[in-house]
Amino acid sequence: MGEFLQTLFVGLRLGSVYALIALGYTMVYGIVRLINFAHGDFIMVGGYTLIFTVPLMTAAGLPAWTAVVIAVAVCALVGVLVELIAYRPVRRKGTNMTALITAVAMSLFLENLAQAIPAIGPNPIIAGQLFASGGVRVAGVTLDYITIYTIAVSAVVMLLLYVFTQKTRLGRAMRCVSEDKGAAVLMGISVNKTVLATFAIGSGLSAAAALMYVAQYPKVYTTMGSLLGLKAFVAAVVGGIGLIPGAMLGGIVIGLVESFSTAYISSSMTDTFVFFILIVVLLLKPAGILGKNVGEKV
Amino acid sequence: MKTSVKRGYLVNGAAVVLAYALFVVLAATLGQGGSFKLILAPSIWQCCYLILLAASLNLVLGFMGQLSLGHCGFMAIGAYTAALMSLAFQRAGVYDEKSGAVFIGILFLCIISAGLLAAVFGVLVGIPALRLKGDYLAIITLGFGLIIVNVINNLPFAGQNGLAEGSAAASLYATGLGFGSSDRVSYLWVGVGVTILCVTLMFMFIRSKYGRAVRAIRDDEIAAAASGINTGYYKVLTFAFSAFFAGVAGALYACCNASLSTVSFSFTNGSILNSTFVVVMVVLGGMGSLTGSVVSAVIMFLLNYQIANGAWVDALPGFVRGVFTYPMLVYALVLIVIIMFRPKGIFGAYEFSLLRTPRDAAGLFKRRGGKRSRPVGKEAAAQ
Amino acid sequence: MKKLLALLLALCMVFALAACGEGGENSGGGDDAASGDTIKVGLIGPITGSNAAYGNAMVEGARLTVREINENGGILGKQVELIEADDRGDATECMNAFNNMVAEGVKYIIGSATSGATAAITGMANEEGVILISPSATADDITTEDDYVFRACFKDSLQGDIAAAWVQQQGITRVGTIECSADTYSSGLVKSFTAACEARGIEVAAAESTATMDAQDFTNQFNSMVSAGVELVYAIYYYDAVGAFLVPQARAAGFDGIIMGADGFDGTLDYISEGTDYSVFSNVVYTNHYDATDSSPVVQEYVTAYEAEYGAMPLCFAALASDCMMMLQTAIETAGSADDAAAVRDALADTSVTYEGVTGTFNLDESGTPVKGAAVIEFVYDSSAGGLEGLGTRLVTTISADEL
Repeated sequence: MGEFLQTLFVGLRLGSVYALIALGYTMVYGIVRLINFAHGDFIMVGGYTLIFTVPLMTAAGLPAWTAVVIAVAVCALVGVLVELIAYRPVRRKGTNMTALITAVAMSLFLENLAQAIPAIGPNPIIAGQLFASGGVRVAGVTLDYITIYTIAVSAVVMLLLYVFTQKTRLGRAMRCVSEDKGAAVLMGISVNKTVLATFAIGSGLSAAAALMYVAQYPKVYTTMGSLLGLKAFVAAVVGGIGLIPGAMLGGIVIGLVESFSTAYISSSMTDTFVFFILIVVLLLKPAGILGKNVGEKV
Repeated sequence: MKTSVKRGYLVNGAAVVLAYALFVVLAATLGQGGSFKLILAPSIWQCCYLILLAASLNLVLGFMGQLSLGHCGFMAIGAYTAALMSLAFQRAGVYDEKSGAVFIGILFLCIISAGLLAAVFGVLVGIPALRLKGDYLAIITLGFGLIIVNVINNLPFAGQNGLAEGSAAASLYATGLGFGSSDRVSYLWVGVGVTILCVTLMFMFIRSKYGRAVRAIRDDEIAAAASGINTGYYKVLTFAFSAFFAGVAGALYACCNASLSTVSFSFTNGSILNSTFVVVMVVLGGMGSLTGSVVSAVIMFLLNYQIANGAWVDALPGFVRGVFTYPMLVYALVLIVIIMFRPKGIFGAYEFSLLRTPRDAAGLFKRRGGKRSRPVGKEAAAQ
Repeated sequence: MKKLLALLLALCMVFALAACGEGGENSGGGDDAASGDTIKVGLIGPITGSNAAYGNAMVEGARLTVREINENGGILGKQVELIEADDRGDATECMNAFNNMVAEGVKYIIGSATSGATAAITGMANEEGVILISPSATADDITTEDDYVFRACFKDSLQGDIAAAWVQQQGITRVGTIECSADTYSSGLVKSFTAACEARGIEVAAAESTATMDAQDFTNQFNSMVSAGVELVYAIYYYDAVGAFLVPQARAAGFDGIIMGADGFDGTLDYISEGTDYSVFSNVVYTNHYDATDSSPVVQEYVTAYEAEYGAMPLCFAALASDCMMMLQTAIETAGSADDAAAVRDALADTSVTYEGVTGTFNLDESGTPVKGAAVIEFVYDSSAGGLEGLGTRLVTTISADEL
């Protein structure tokens, strides 16, 4: 029982982070229809921003996590710049595929740029503890407070995003753009501005994800986002891409799959299981667990 | 087949055979000399497998229009198959020295088996491709690449230590088919010959009715299906075909290198050999141009080699040299700029042909503006 | 217009990069020396890429030693010229760098950092008659008898055996292992440790693994260690994972036994999350090439010089690269000439020569691998000092190779 609970908690810990990242991913994908490979690297940007700003915050007498405000701003800025400089020109001229390749290139660019900046360099940097440690003890096993916070943050973000996309003007514009760009233009929506806003929000979210990730796994390094981003994308696809509750569900599912396969099947084959789940889900239900299968229009 | 097409094959085929013969003679004369052995021969080997890798991905990416981000997975299968087979033969006592007819026979056997096994996996990846396309397929192939690396790492006989078990350091070099400096020169004809043969086969594939069907699927899958093309069959076929050549590229990689490690076949790593960079090469050369893939593979290799080892880098002014300390950054920028300003790549869909070259060259001087549309249009008309 | 803007922005990025890149540019050990009268020594290591930390440590250590050699009159009166090349941790890049150096007439090469990259060039070093000394390729089969390949570090099987010997001394009978299956270093060491334990009658009751060296969660692995009831876990990871993830998670999972590591744990102190409960680091030990807090004058002089130059404690990669340079210097001086690589090889192959390096006093065995002991080091936490300052390391014992 203890071992099962422990495995479950590890799964939740991983899953809650995946869920939070997947929310940003699904937001951007849902509206722009582009797998933003650089999204994982925005987390890296957020992570480094936290490393550099947390000391400032603590020096000012504020709690360490308040640095996330600056991180959100920096990430949103980077996201907007990436969209303006790379994605928008390519999207205008090229196809879906060229946009995807640009995203891969952008990810490569950000990772290597970070390494070239002297203050960052090739060595990992270890962050300090951002939250007080401790946790709830259930049947002799500890569930960390941070895990609970992360799940709570994910849930709040999920709700906010949901309300935002359903109720606000900008949110509705986003859904319009996602459904039919041409019609959106006819309705007087500025597609470019909407997409830009999407990138700003999605990238800003990755800073929140970076905070919760770094709080649990305090190592920040230049390639930290690549596998993390991929797994979060897998989570978003498994849950149903473009669906905000789907990202949350998918994140938790992937975290649990990873943890349970480590504990009960083979600890060195986790990546295989995660991607195997993806393949199975895509083959059986391409729209994801929560998605509705829609036939292709001819 | 039309006579003009026949004549094209004949002329180009003869030219390729002639060039190859010339190359073999030249390589034999240059022999074991210092810089040829140390720099040129290894470079040619590396170009060979990069060319095969890029050209084979182009079949899927450029001609079928499906992004595959796990192409190096097939290469890994090929490399490990060839390496393990050669080691098994050596341990069974079939050959002792890396010379003689028996070894050459085994060499080719290893190369072909590498391709075949990779092709089997190509079929496996092709099946999801029947249902998925675009982004989803990209992610599935990426996942496939990661799975392959993960599985190979965990195979007791193939993993990080498996190949080295019970033999000298570079086990492949000492006993398997990995070549040392002088063998790399003696067997250069194999590497170049296999590459030429494979590129020719790919070229014939895209010019055949299969190639036309595949391009029709790329342009409009529904229309292609309505025209009676069995899209599923062609998709899986192309995946298998592409994987076969990636597997052969893997076998050449195992020949060229003395050691194997799965890091070389991952999604991204420190070198230009990884799934991301194959995509870079194809995009750079032109999606839908085998000529482009060949040229851009060579360009990428030269660029990478020169940035890492060229003496001229040290002579550059400080800031440019500073950038070249991080070559990956340069490549990422180049890719973004190319996609932005020339999304079709350097060559677009242009294919090199001896018959057409004089006319193309003339056209280049006459009308600079419209030079790209001409060959493409002509090619379309020829079919 | 927008195109132009994009191009401008791209250019700006390039220049920004250039500005950052410049700081890290190299300036070899003896640039000012007359080029005709120098001994060229090549250095191949992962200077950029994911293993860059090790490559840069190597470069720093080698540069320091080369400078000292040159300041003291060079080798046989000749200045040493250090030629650095980046292999980005990749076998093919390593091969290209090697070939290029050999074509330029370099006869002595130090490199590379990892076993995987080094294995790609060992055969060629023999074929070309170029001396290759690796600072840190620990895989057993890197060096063989009668060849041009040597190294400054001990090999996996020796380190694993020393660890097992220490475990036996402690009277521990039940152990577990955690390795990364994708990493030669990690899986090689665990394999040799397991074999040594079996030979010594110690039961390896649990063997767990992770998919990558970058794994961030070890809780499940330690969970099964707790279930298996082992007294000690042999976990082979690098310093950046040890302090941040491995040890705190192990304790959180309820594992109170000894956590044992290897030379990769060196440097952990700089990679511990501030604010962790530092007492979790008691009962964590590791084997290392040397102890940086060792009071011996060789070590202290080196550490002081290194700190003065780079402002940080040397990683073992730096110390090992320095020792490679020292071995090469000794061998060239014994051979009496730097022109004849074969004579230098014979000098290095002489097993009776004792080298006094930063990483210990050692002789080479027939294959060209040092026979040296390992230091067993433990973490100690002095809660009265408070905070990260209170955490330090202490030498537990040294086990020499002939005690085995």
